[in-house]
Amino acid sequence: MTINIEDIASSTLEKMTAAGFDTAQVSLSVSEQDELNIAHNEASLLRSTEDYSLSLMGLLDGRKASAALTDLGDHAIEHGVADLFERAKMAPQDEANGVSASQTGHIVQGPQESSLDLLAIKVEELLEYRAAEASKMNIDEGAAAYYLAREQVLTSEGSALSCSVGCYGLSVMGTAVEGDQSSSFNYTGGSANDLSTAHASQLFGIGDMLKDTENQIHTKPLGENFVGEVILAPTAVTDLLGWLFGQLSDYALISDGSVFKGSVGEIIASNLLTIRSRFDAPGHAAYTNDAFLAPALELMSEGRLNALLPSYYGSRKTGLTHTPVGSGWTVDAGDSAKADLIGSVKKGALVNRLSMGSPGANGDFSGVIKNSFIIEGGAVGPALSETMISGNMAQMLKDISGVSRERLDTGSEALPWIRIPGLHFS
Amino acid sequence: MSNSDLEAPAGVDYAETRQHEVRKTHMAMIDGNLTSNTQSSAGGVSARVFDKGYWGFASVPAMDKASAGKVARKAADNAAAMHRFGDRPTLDLPLDAHVGEHGYNARTPRSQKENIELLEELNGICTTKYPSLKSASFILAEEAHAKHFATSNGGRGLNCINRAAFYIILTAEDQNGQPIELMQPMSAKGNLANLDLSLGALEPQLEELYQHLQAKRVAVAPRGGEQTIVLSPELAGMLAHEAMGHPCEADLVLGGAVTGNLVGKPVASELITMVDFAHSYKGEELMIPVYADDEGTEATDAVLIENGIMKDFMTSRETAAKLGIKSTGNARAYAFNDEPLVRMRNTGILPGTSKLADMIAGVENGYYLMKTGNGQADSTTEFMFGITLAYEIKNGKLGSAITDTTVSGKAIDMLKTVDAVSDDMYWECNGYCGKKQPMVVSMGGPALRAKVHMGGQ
Repeated sequence: MTINIEDIASSTLEKMTAAGFDTAQVSLSVSEQDELNIAHNEASLLRSTEDYSLSLMGLLDGRKASAALTDLGDHAIEHGVADLFERAKMAPQDEANGVSASQTGHIVQGPQESSLDLLAIKVEELLEYRAAEASKMNIDEGAAAYYLAREQVLTSEGSALSCSVGCYGLSVMGTAVEGDQSSSFNYTGGSANDLSTAHASQLFGIGDMLKDTENQIHTKPLGENFVGEVILAPTAVTDLLGWLFGQLSDYALISDGSVFKGSVGEIIASNLLTIRSRFDAPGHAAYTNDAFLAPALELMSEGRLNALLPSYYGSRKTGLTHTPVGSGWTVDAGDSAKADLIGSVKKGALVNRLSMGSPGANGDFSGVIKNSFIIEGGAVGPALSETMISGNMAQMLKDISGVSRERLDTGSEALPWIRIPGLHFS
Repeated sequence: MSNSDLEAPAGVDYAETRQHEVRKTHMAMIDGNLTSNTQSSAGGVSARVFDKGYWGFASVPAMDKASAGKVARKAADNAAAMHRFGDRPTLDLPLDAHVGEHGYNARTPRSQKENIELLEELNGICTTKYPSLKSASFILAEEAHAKHFATSNGGRGLNCINRAAFYIILTAEDQNGQPIELMQPMSAKGNLANLDLSLGALEPQLEELYQHLQAKRVAVAPRGGEQTIVLSPELAGMLAHEAMGHPCEADLVLGGAVTGNLVGKPVASELITMVDFAHSYKGEELMIPVYADDEGTEATDAVLIENGIMKDFMTSRETAAKLGIKSTGNARAYAFNDEPLVRMRNTGILPGTSKLADMIAGVENGYYLMKTGNGQADSTTEFMFGITLAYEIKNGKLGSAITDTTVSGKAIDMLKTVDAVSDDMYWECNGYCGKKQPMVVSMGGPALRAKVHMGGQ
């Protein structure tokens, strides 16, 4: 990677200013990846890629247009800027458009060089573990990967953010098979600055997932409708948080569809729920796409909502406070052992994955619970098939009645197991 | 760079080189605010090598002869580096090779001015005609793929995929003041000029969507559990894609999907025939025409279910060799830096002879499912898709709208309950299929009457 990203980003910004834009933003990212793939329980493919992405955003009299290109040649950039200018001229005026000013920082994080040896060792560990400990599990696809991105972001208002962020990733997806019976597919994975700290099976819950899926080959349908409790595993807690973040972000706020638009400072969830940012998660720099540094944020404190998450544009459009948001969140651990949480459930399910349509704008949802087990009298029973739960996401946040001490850390998230009553099973 | 500059690396068991460029336009207006106004182009060259049982792949975002040579050498090096995992048995890949260029004569693209005027006009209509709406959003999206390929066994050619989509999203409040939403997608092969985006065509769709939203304001909760349903043609394509399409992808079959044991066995009502079409249906080119896949294999139709009997799988060269069946030309890559994976093309359930109105009239107590938001598949053929618009059927007549729900079932059980298939055929190609990489696919089908598991109380 010999591309001088500072020079190209700077000269591109100059071209945009010279073209007549009032204000502008340029982001140039140069990245490389090595990915060692597993297919059907065998190492299969080594994939090496290089990528460039030059993103342009220009404002002219409040009119905005943006573009992205991979061709970094002078002619391509000049053509891109000229085309952008013509498109911006035709866009409607919007006084909420703007670019960041005076944001500066340089972030170097994670490994800066790939180790193919480390990738190969992790693949070997995974394959050996599967063969020895979870031989019914068929790893359909998996990968150990290294990713490095260098980026320069400049705005005409004096913002200059840059990073060089590297990380490793490890992921597994597959199905357990016995005779002509198969489990549902299951997957897990995550990212880290160093994969050598633990055996592959100990990272991101991979070993537990492989073994757990073997127990999902033989399933039984629930066969009855009832109202019960769920223990949401971290892989399902992600869905609950995803809905919450959607409610706090631009589309829901601008379209006035958020059920939490006026809820900052209010209790919207159980006092067992505290959510913090992890914007320096492996593979991520703590600044936003619209060029704002993203300081650490306690989004929710014991159920109280501390902020909405509009972008700079979203905040200017709605009048709401701007909260720069990067990637990565954690939920504070609770004080209950996971086993005790499960043991306290009279009737319900341990839910590892929610397969569902997007919840309604009001939070109503129903979904199939996959890779999940029935719980009766505090004991985990057989794996379930063709079982659905329905409820309301906003109500689920309020109804959280237990949070585990244990958390699953996948790099960009660290989430506990959560107990929630009042779900309709069918 | 010309096609002749794409020289697949020599001295290996098999190799392919691809020059791939993608151009996209995306515009979104929320309540009169133009929140997205973006055009992008991404292009590059990749090479993939298969040698002594292992694959190597490399790509760079450049499209010149030197870059093609560089990635070819890197891909070969990567395949060689895989031998640290030990020797693998020889695998004789099917090596048929397609030669041919399949371009696309797109219509003159709509201008930026036309697109912005359209978005503003539609927003104005919603503001004046439907003042009770809480929000109205419109999205215009088009993307064009041009892929030149060369393979070590003589394959050489050009494939083009062009698709356009338009979305209307309306939000209102229900009787309890809670937000409710409906989306209407439109899609076409080609660019946005291939869609009828005249106000004369769109205003009736806005009105229809608004009326459905009004019905949803007073929606009732569905009954949970097994229900008799009529799936609209818009949903049958999703069923075809999710429920049986994915489990019939050969890589998932090799991974343990239950379909691997079902070839030649009944998996559906004999009213059901399901095909992944390569490029044409009844002599008409489909929305995602694949004449040769990204491995240079000539693409052929894969008949997945014929009159209820499980037949074929969709394959790449490698999965075909491992299963000992023919290669169907389903190996597709989304971007220049992606390796080809087994992906669907145009997957549909073929029409029958029933009339949709008669199918609804024949239901005493059930639901008519009209719109979906998304769907997911499983190796067990257990599927789910979210239902965003549906109505009760009582004594053969449509009743109240129902609240958002999810339907699920095992396709190999559910499809056996199909007792009527309509004579409609509806194709669409909006959205993306996800499987490591995104992919543009089309899906189609008629209305079906069956029994499924419905979420609810």
